[in-house]
Amino acid sequence: MTADEACLDAFQRELDYLYRSLRRLGTAPSEVDDLAQEVFLALRSSWPEYDQTRPLRPYLFGIAFRIAAAHHRKWRREVAFEVVEMPDTAPAPDDVLLAKQSRAVLLSALERIPLPRRAVLVMHDIDGTPVEEVAAALGIPRFTVYSRLRKARRELESAVRKLMNEARPQ
Amino acid sequence: MTTEPPYSLEVRALLERERDIPPLSAAQRTRAMARARAALATPAAPMVAPSRATGPRRWIAAAAALVASAGVAAAAFELHGRFWPAKRAPVETSATVELRPASTPKSTTIENEAAPPAVEEPRPAAIPAPPARSKAEASRAELRLLREARAAVARGDFAGAMAPLTEHARRFKNGRLVEEREALRVKALAGLGRTEEARRAAGSFRARFPRSVLLPAVSKMSATPRAQTGD
Repeated sequence: MTADEACLDAFQRELDYLYRSLRRLGTAPSEVDDLAQEVFLALRSSWPEYDQTRPLRPYLFGIAFRIAAAHHRKWRREVAFEVVEMPDTAPAPDDVLLAKQSRAVLLSALERIPLPRRAVLVMHDIDGTPVEEVAAALGIPRFTVYSRLRKARRELESAVRKLMNEARPQ
Repeated sequence: MTTEPPYSLEVRALLERERDIPPLSAAQRTRAMARARAALATPAAPMVAPSRATGPRRWIAAAAALVASAGVAAAAFELHGRFWPAKRAPVETSATVELRPASTPKSTTIENEAAPPAVEEPRPAAIPAPPARSKAEASRAELRLLREARAAVARGDFAGAMAPLTEHARRFKNGRLVEEREALRVKALAGLGRTEEARRAAGSFRARFPRSVLLPAVSKMSATPRAQTGD
């Protein structure tokens, strides 16, 4: 298997994860396809440097984070994207609907956390990536991971509470 | 993960649900892999940043934000009723992090959070650009134009989508994203109410890409333009 084939194979295996990570990083549904391709191009360029004994997801997330961050800096948008998606009019079972609503609220709450802290929280508290891997993937000291995580958790709590309070009937 | 995050029950429940990664649709997966395979035909190149929004687009984004907020509020309201029908106890707000022994990070790719990654400034799509110098550069230029068109279509700005689509057709008549461009053109024409042109474009699409994964959507768009474009 050539390096390109191995890279393509890895991309295919982690496609669901990559798309979801880009959404968690605030990428609009209409832009996820393009950013995923940029991640692929970057992954391919850096594939020779990737240590294949290490887990791929943190590495991939690190690339996705840098590309999403560059994208945010250029667009400077603060749109809660979830409801810009095409509406799904098909009847959905209750648990599917509930999962969608949970995701919409969580994504909206994540949108309120600055991207560098959000990335740490997503990696550690959603993906379950160990602190050392988070630090390596994002290129920051472990201490910075801890401090960002601490602050991001408070921000997430606060954002969810606000969303719920806003939604509560008066 | 070895530490239990000090979250309230509500946030824990949300995070728990988010850990299940929803699978992509077959069409989305096929499209992503087709584009990745096409990219392999070009030499590896450094990553590039996406294009910048222009003034009017920011206004539209702001309007979309208002709509989005309303939608999220509705979802939160629904969730609130389902998950926590009774009055909730105050959520815990203190958050502590348990320190764990960890090894030194293996590599450093970002010096600090303020340091931007190495990206090149994209040129505005509306301004005619000089011919692409390499295949990789052309691929990125194609991506930029199509991204702009797709974003315009997604927010219902069908007139705004026509400029990048026309520019793409001019510069990349037989580019690697021509199939996507033509599908977007059908959608934009249908959205503008130019039904006859949309039908003709859909017919050309069908003839040119008879096995396209986008074909069912293209056929629907041209058949019932307004319903499919969300107007």
